[in-house]
Amino acid sequence: MKEIVTIQVGDFANYIGSHFWNFQDELLGLAEDDGADPIFKNNHMDMDVLYRTGQTHQGTYTYCPRLISIGSQGSLGTLSSSGSLYGDSSCSDILAWKGGVTKSEEKRHEKNLFLKSLSEEGEEDSHIEDKDRVECLERDVKFWSDFSKVQFHHKSLYELKGTWTDFQNFENFGVGKEVLSGGLHMEELNDRLRFFVEECDHVQGIQCVVDDSGGFSSVASEFLENIADDYTNIPVLLYAVRDTFSYTYASNQRKSITRSLHDAVSLSKLSTYSSLVVPVGLPSLGGLASSLCAKDEKNFHSSAVYASAIHSMSTAFRFRPGGSISNTTCASGSLDIGEIVHNLAGQDRQNMVAILDISMPAPPLSDKGNQGNVLNRFHALGPEIGDDSEDLYMAESLVFNGALYSGVNRASISQVKDSICRVYDKGLRAKPKSSHLSISLTPIPIPLSFPSIFPTSTGRHGETLVDQPEAGPPRGPLEVESIPIATRLRSSIAIKPFIEGRYNNLLRHGMARGAKGAGILRDWGFGKDEVDDIGEHLSKMVRVFDPSSEMTSDSD
Amino acid sequence: MSIRVLNPNAEVLNKSAALHMTINAARGLQDVLKSNLGPKGTIKMLVGGAGDIKLTKDGNTLLKEMQIQNPTAIMIARTAVAQDDYSGDGTTSTVLFIGELMKQSERCIDEGTHPRFLVDGFEIGKKATLEFLEKFKIPVVMGDTPDKEILKMVARTTLRTKLYEVLADQLTDIVVNAVLCIRRPEEAIDLFMVEIMHMRHKFDVDTRLVEGLVLDHGSRHPDMKRRAENCYILTCNVSLEYDKSEVNAGFFYSNAEQREKMVAAERRQVDQRVMKIIEMKNKVCSGTDKNFVVINQKGIDPPSLDLLARAGIIALRRAKRRNMERLVLACGGEAVNSVDDLTEECLGWAGLVYEHVLGEEKYTFVEQVKNPHSCTILIKGPNDHTIAQIKDAVRDGLRSVKNTVEDEAIVLGAGAFEVAARKHLLDNVKRTVKGRAQLGVEAFADALLVIPKTLAENSGLDTQDVLNEHDQGNVVGLNHHTGDPIDPQMEGIFDNYSVKRQIINSGPVIASQLLLVDEVIRAGRNMRKPA
Repeated sequence: MKEIVTIQVGDFANYIGSHFWNFQDELLGLAEDDGADPIFKNNHMDMDVLYRTGQTHQGTYTYCPRLISIGSQGSLGTLSSSGSLYGDSSCSDILAWKGGVTKSEEKRHEKNLFLKSLSEEGEEDSHIEDKDRVECLERDVKFWSDFSKVQFHHKSLYELKGTWTDFQNFENFGVGKEVLSGGLHMEELNDRLRFFVEECDHVQGIQCVVDDSGGFSSVASEFLENIADDYTNIPVLLYAVRDTFSYTYASNQRKSITRSLHDAVSLSKLSTYSSLVVPVGLPSLGGLASSLCAKDEKNFHSSAVYASAIHSMSTAFRFRPGGSISNTTCASGSLDIGEIVHNLAGQDRQNMVAILDISMPAPPLSDKGNQGNVLNRFHALGPEIGDDSEDLYMAESLVFNGALYSGVNRASISQVKDSICRVYDKGLRAKPKSSHLSISLTPIPIPLSFPSIFPTSTGRHGETLVDQPEAGPPRGPLEVESIPIATRLRSSIAIKPFIEGRYNNLLRHGMARGAKGAGILRDWGFGKDEVDDIGEHLSKMVRVFDPSSEMTSDSD
Repeated sequence: MSIRVLNPNAEVLNKSAALHMTINAARGLQDVLKSNLGPKGTIKMLVGGAGDIKLTKDGNTLLKEMQIQNPTAIMIARTAVAQDDYSGDGTTSTVLFIGELMKQSERCIDEGTHPRFLVDGFEIGKKATLEFLEKFKIPVVMGDTPDKEILKMVARTTLRTKLYEVLADQLTDIVVNAVLCIRRPEEAIDLFMVEIMHMRHKFDVDTRLVEGLVLDHGSRHPDMKRRAENCYILTCNVSLEYDKSEVNAGFFYSNAEQREKMVAAERRQVDQRVMKIIEMKNKVCSGTDKNFVVINQKGIDPPSLDLLARAGIIALRRAKRRNMERLVLACGGEAVNSVDDLTEECLGWAGLVYEHVLGEEKYTFVEQVKNPHSCTILIKGPNDHTIAQIKDAVRDGLRSVKNTVEDEAIVLGAGAFEVAARKHLLDNVKRTVKGRAQLGVEAFADALLVIPKTLAENSGLDTQDVLNEHDQGNVVGLNHHTGDPIDPQMEGIFDNYSVKRQIINSGPVIASQLLLVDEVIRAGRNMRKPA
């Protein structure tokens, strides 16, 4: 087994993480549930890759995500940072002081219906139905923990405290740097990470989800720098995520310059310390409207879409080694993080920024004509993506989860393989230079905590119902049990505008003579040399797409 | 006003309103922290929205926990926290002092004095007080064997303000011994060489000093010994795991068989490294009752663990980077980055290595080391907030001992210094100052009194007797039980010289800056709106 440690940094990253872990929890639950679809019984997926077995002082065994989540103070809502598995932290005996006590108590956050139903499983209120729980989440989600059904280890949740920045203004790289300075935050974070890594026999990699739209980007980059020092050779797969709000129009010029500089610095720094960067987060989910009706203004919605994609990618990292024959019929094309990094970023072109595409719900495969071109139904989840139809060096990695075949049947491994081959053979799409296909027959389960974002025509297993009226409220976990999904990571020239835009912004606002933003970078604590390094790094990332520089890259 | 022309949304507070805003902020902050000061202060229990508890009496921690919004308050808080970074203590005092300077100034300004005169007076007062401090401090010669009693008194003074007496006194010995343990002649004291480790233990509040090291992990193989005596310690940073990524990076193979070969070759390299360690072990241990312990900063994978276990070696992986340094200081030997040229000189020594298991947490104790220059303070507590509280106190205690050793001087505590300094300013300095700056000196002198006054207030007493005693020329402090004058020297109440100096230094600087603010402009948000 090869373990993965997951790191989530920033509020939106935790939103995504919350959905991500709910999927895992749902899978674990369904595997044990006799009434569930037998497709979930097939445990070709090794959950130990993401989870760890532990034991409390009382001897009770625990099974928790191997996770470090970093958020701002107060972002945990009703969740206690030390979790509830390892003894009660709310025992308020004061043992080390005999003098007076002043108590200052924040107002307790109230648990919503969904969380209440988790904590009082025994004495369930019969008046409250699942319908109410789903509705209450649709109405109001304030914290990522509001819809989380996972029990976390007491070393998993870390709140960044001890700052005077109110987290509304935690919006750029410099602020994040300041928060870390002087404190013992890094020390503590390194210790916690060590705890999770030490018990792994063989770490395959670190999966990192970072909200890079604000100060958390620098928190993450400092953490990653430490990781690169301490754990050389452990690949880091980094999803740089942002919510739709981070794209709102900047109210003045200074803000807009600050933001574009932040984006440039953030990309440069994060990519320095990771093996593969995947920007995730669209200004609007409108592009996916044909298959999903997610609301832009709800992080609860958008994070669910991104989490589905990240979950789907991650399934390929934990197929059980194909020893027994029964397994091989359920999954094929196992990968580990190191391999995916190598496939995408380590071959002909050393481009380390990849694009994440999703097809959700994935359309049923079929052998008839153009309909079979499932690859045309992908939507990129990152911003500023160009065109790559002419790209000769494209590399991609596809993951199919629970694909359907002509209507409602589950496709077999070979059917999926054949469909993909047919697309390339018929020339419906240019065959990339390298392509890897991972297939799992298990679809994505839809837990109760999932938002209602499916069109009315979505069936119980994610198929498209033909005779359903178009109108009506969106469907959610009550109507849809599971959905097929396909995701793709690709390394192609289409990402060039994304990197180039940031590089040019840095040149124009930060490095050119008399640039308006030079002072901003200085305020963030970057000296001239450091800014030059940041620029050099970005320019190198742009140059990999330049065919002419390829010749020279060998000589130096 | 011109700013209005440029930005119609900008808001401007004029002179007196601006001044009152800053003064109020300073006083507000003072009010919050006032009750913390001294051994009779109250502890603050902060309960978060999810029921998480934080206990603290430390101004520094408290300032960081409060999400302060007011810009003036932030400025003061930053100064106070910088104080803590610099000297490890005195945050509360700094805040109180700045607040009091502002309060005294307000009185004068209301009577029509221009802030400029006060600022001049502060400057004179500061200089004079610092000079006075030089005379007032009690030099302590450290030499090769510092006077433990003096160090203990300083540590006790600090600790008793954070923990109840019995626990504080227990910790006093521990922190003093810890600092003396890591102190090496001609070198600055690096407090990081004191490891602070904690265990969550059911009913116990207990802390002890381990001369040696406590690591928060154990061996990962069922056959390795849980306890061993007379151990050679190999401290290394060598990968003992088969690293697939290195094979991957090449992708040289084109079929499964080639790949297997690559894997086997890579595996062989790792095994060779393991064998070198085993050879070393056999060389130094065979035929004796000695044992061999490997503590590695990098990973050790199960096959390597297997080999080591069969050779009777205890192996720990993924040790903290800083522990590499600590281990060498504690056990001797050196930290090696390669196992190629191992010699016996590379190895350290510990009389006893054993493992302690608490649920899923494992601790490895490396004890009975030869001449420890690193040690561990092991804190036990029943819950996280108690542990955190003790940990904060230990850090402060360590800093106070380190300061004393480095200052080679101490200052009488219990408010004695402040009362004496005030008297000096009023009797000797004020006369020499011409004009209205006198008011500033007087305000400064009165502001100094905030420390003894608050100490008294927190004990439900007043300072009058102490002031009278000083007027008669005796240097005394305040007995927080009775309010009577006491002699701090007799009672063993001493403060750090550097902490005091820093407070005197930074307080007036910030206060002066704030006093000279005559306009507050904020563009955008409404500053009168309650947050």
